[in-house]
Amino acid sequence: MPFDQALRFTSIWLAATSFIGLTLGAGLPEWLTVLTGAALIVALLRNAGRKSVERLAGSMPISTIGWNLLVMLGFLGFWVDMLWVSGDLLPAGIHFLMILMIIKLFTLKLRRDYVHLYAISLVAILASGSLTTELWYLPIFLLYLFAGVWTLLLFQLTKHSEGTQILTMPVVVPPQPSESVDQVTPQLFWLANGLALATFGLTVVIFFTIPRISAGFYQKGFGENIRTSGFSETVNLGEIGPIKRDPSVVMRVELPDGAPHEVGRFYVRGVAFDQYDGKTWTNRLNYRRNISEDAIGTFVLRRSRLPAPPALGETIRQNILLEPLDTPVLFAAPFAEQVSGTFPSLQSDLIGSVYLPFPSSSRIEYSVRSRSNPVLSTDLDSEPILYPESFIRHFLQIPAQSDRIATLAADVTHTQRTTYEKANAILSFLTHNFRYSLDAPLTGQDQPLEEFLFTRKTGYCEHYATAMVMMLRAIGVPARLVTGFLATEWNEYGNYYVVRQQDAHAWVEVHLPHSGWITMDPTPSSIESVGGGFPAWHALGRMMDTLRLQWGRFFVQYSAADQLTVVRELKAGSTSARNKALDSMSTLFSPLLAMLSGVTEYASKWTMRAWAEVLGLALLSLVVLLWLVIKQPWGQGIISKKTTHNEQFIVQLYGQMTTQLARKGISRRTTMPPLEFVRFTQERWSDAGSAVAFITALYCRARFGQIPPTREELSLAEGHLRNLTTLSKS
Amino acid sequence: MLRPSPSILRRLFHHRSTSVTREGIQFLLFTLAIGIAAINTGNNLFYLLLAMMLSLVLISGIVAEYCLRRLEFHRHLPDRLTVNEPTSVTLVVKNRKSQLPSFSLKIFDVGDGRELRQGLEVHQLLPGTSQLVSYPLIATRRGRLHLEGVCVGTEFPFGLFRKQTFYPIEDMMVVCPEIKPLDESVLRGLLTAGPEQSINRRGSGNDLYNLRLYQAGDDSRKIHWPTTARTSQLTVRETEAEDQRRAVVYVSTLAPPSHDVLFERAVSLAASLLHHLAHRGYMLQLLVGSSRSSFGHGEPHLLELFRMLAICERCSPPAGCIVPGELSGDPLEADEQTMIIVQSWRGLEDVVPEQPTILINGEVIAGAPHAV
Repeated sequence: MPFDQALRFTSIWLAATSFIGLTLGAGLPEWLTVLTGAALIVALLRNAGRKSVERLAGSMPISTIGWNLLVMLGFLGFWVDMLWVSGDLLPAGIHFLMILMIIKLFTLKLRRDYVHLYAISLVAILASGSLTTELWYLPIFLLYLFAGVWTLLLFQLTKHSEGTQILTMPVVVPPQPSESVDQVTPQLFWLANGLALATFGLTVVIFFTIPRISAGFYQKGFGENIRTSGFSETVNLGEIGPIKRDPSVVMRVELPDGAPHEVGRFYVRGVAFDQYDGKTWTNRLNYRRNISEDAIGTFVLRRSRLPAPPALGETIRQNILLEPLDTPVLFAAPFAEQVSGTFPSLQSDLIGSVYLPFPSSSRIEYSVRSRSNPVLSTDLDSEPILYPESFIRHFLQIPAQSDRIATLAADVTHTQRTTYEKANAILSFLTHNFRYSLDAPLTGQDQPLEEFLFTRKTGYCEHYATAMVMMLRAIGVPARLVTGFLATEWNEYGNYYVVRQQDAHAWVEVHLPHSGWITMDPTPSSIESVGGGFPAWHALGRMMDTLRLQWGRFFVQYSAADQLTVVRELKAGSTSARNKALDSMSTLFSPLLAMLSGVTEYASKWTMRAWAEVLGLALLSLVVLLWLVIKQPWGQGIISKKTTHNEQFIVQLYGQMTTQLARKGISRRTTMPPLEFVRFTQERWSDAGSAVAFITALYCRARFGQIPPTREELSLAEGHLRNLTTLSKS
Repeated sequence: MLRPSPSILRRLFHHRSTSVTREGIQFLLFTLAIGIAAINTGNNLFYLLLAMMLSLVLISGIVAEYCLRRLEFHRHLPDRLTVNEPTSVTLVVKNRKSQLPSFSLKIFDVGDGRELRQGLEVHQLLPGTSQLVSYPLIATRRGRLHLEGVCVGTEFPFGLFRKQTFYPIEDMMVVCPEIKPLDESVLRGLLTAGPEQSINRRGSGNDLYNLRLYQAGDDSRKIHWPTTARTSQLTVRETEAEDQRRAVVYVSTLAPPSHDVLFERAVSLAASLLHHLAHRGYMLQLLVGSSRSSFGHGEPHLLELFRMLAICERCSPPAGCIVPGELSGDPLEADEQTMIIVQSWRGLEDVVPEQPTILINGEVIAGAPHAV
């Protein structure tokens, strides 16, 4: 492919990449997307030499002045857009940028035009970066980088110096005539791609080492916070229902100690409520106090003054990556003891919920150490105890109209003696006698709980949990409602739980005399499946999510604190730093490693025939790969069919020339090399010398130097052959 | 303490220079803008773009350095270089790298501390191959031309920076004075008062002296066949003796600084006279200041005389000197050869004339601008 054509192609590729980035990030208006896309396709077809498109573009009755007027009109449109249509600088600017790109694509003639197009595409990719943090930016960036390297390289190679007459000729085999440089040769192809790879490698190194300075006046988060519900101080019964159909990821919970014993159910506690008025849950113990900071960034929660159990439960460590939510609640497995992260301060209320001072506008990462409360053996046979007045006021409160519920609770538990047995009886009653459904229109009811328990017997987690709390309280067992998330989607590639909006959940915390607050969930486990489809798709989805997580962690969230940590690690010792680096690398490549191990595990179950098939396929692939490496068909492809045709054409011309000379009595012996034949001809027929030399030079170059002649050279050679025919030999 | 070998340092950093191209300035401005945006917003994707642009800058430097490394140059010079006469200088550049090609090389020959041409371009030089490039060199003044080396630069790979390095290859050339066609008055002077007046005689030479009948013992190669055919008698041609045509050209180097231009004209005039006389078959001797050549003829002798003229320098006359009196020493045998004196200064009373003065055998050739 000639340099000029390759340059036009890579320039369009560059523009197209930035356009796709901007379309994905900004959501351009449909008309603008279609228009820009069409302009890119037309430019591409023109470059490919489609004559109809060329004619169409050539017949456009727009002069340079017309294009300039269009630019001015676009600028006017930008102001109108900014002031009245979009009402904001950024979208209006992006729209104007696309208009400029369209105009430039149609007027791509001078080198200056190319520079303008590159500037536009750079601003577009920059704007795209300001509008997103999603994983798709990575492939777009990579494409842009490759296109950028190719474009800059070709732009440099097509730069000719003015006014310099150069005389060049090869003196050493293999010959390198000056014309060869106008083609993208295989060497240049690999060199450009190698440069692009090296640039990418260096980009990653510089990205991680460049000091992060946050000294700006224009800092903001990315996009809007995710709207969630069920985590404010007051929650209406049934409020969680609508968000249970939303698959947006709200957090990822990584467990450094490995997968939990029971993969599939992991409770992430948000807030708890003590007061229920028949329709609404309220947290009356919402007085928040600052949590003391033990070390820098480490906050330790003190247990409440209420009866405290001995710390016998299992310790659960979690690293949580929380997406920006519209609530300041900090989620963690029950019951959080210590929270670490880069927070200015943390607060907690009296029932163990943890809060940020205000909702975060960007993704945050923090670590939590929690300890679950196991049921102590002493509680298995202990009678209910008397609680302090304040405790009763909060956790044994029942709305006035709950007599039927009290009767039901008494009926369900009349055979049980201990508190724990009673709680389990109610749990069992709710789990087995009610049907889970999100389509339960109980929100508008006067007495939604009674409607759930006695009429419809269908509901979802909130109804189950509220029913259990009310029934427990009716028989004198302190209980409270907790909202949070029930994580069920374990990502084996990244060793973490993906928590989505649809995992929002409500459950119950029951107070046992000796064990303290324990978690009980009356909602049946046959929760509606997250989605159907093939398991392979789910696996792929989980793999993508892991990549998304690593992208967010290593690129989007990378901060000065991370750099400091790396420096500290390096100071601490090379072994520690090496281990950390290895950990990071293994985390980064964990999806691939996991997939590989999965394949190995799967392969161990294969039969001999399956093995033979796979090995045969691998062998075939190897052969194809070897063929590709040896033959390098892409190199030929780059030179293109057109040039191969040119090569054949010059061979034909040479044949015609020798025939013509033979007619004039100058025959070429088969043993005579072409250049010697030129001298032989010049001695006998000097007038024909230059024509014969020219055609022979092109022939030798194409035949032995693998450099086909250009179209112009072929037409010149044809002219020389015509002259040769008309010349008369003296 | 061990110090690194100076040769390594010299090889690494000596003669390296980098300048930013127009595209490079635009690129750096964009990089700066993205850097400011990244610091302002704290957006890591901006930092990613910034890192990409910085890495392009770094890769530019590294690749350009590799392009310019391990090149080998050879220069081929012509035997004679004359003022204002284009001569082809050839450079052979070889890529001695085993793996990496060099791209977009721009080569400048450096002489007398400056680049001699706009630059010769070598687009691609594969590993282990050579390429021959040539350029027309036009010297603008006579004297010694010191070619110090070759300056090679590249904008590869991205055209953002122009990196240059210098390969020393020393060559010394002598630029002969410009040879111009002699003016008619000078030619006439030479005919009337000069060497053309000398009596010709028979001898060995090239010019025809006489035709006579063949005699026994004559060289058969001297038979003049056209006359023999016309007259039906064997006729031989006799040639004019050339050893008799001897001329001494004297160029006075004494001239005040105000006569600098005139002195150069005088040197050029002397060269043109020598050229003219040499082609007329004269034995020539040149006296320049106190330098004196031997009598001789032929191309090598003429080249030697031109070299003498090329390196001669004007001498300011000593205080109190009224007329140029440097023509002393061996008495000139004016009877046997023609004496031509070319003067740019004729003494204290001389105002700066337009042309140098020519004296042929003591006779002034008036108004002798030699350029046509």
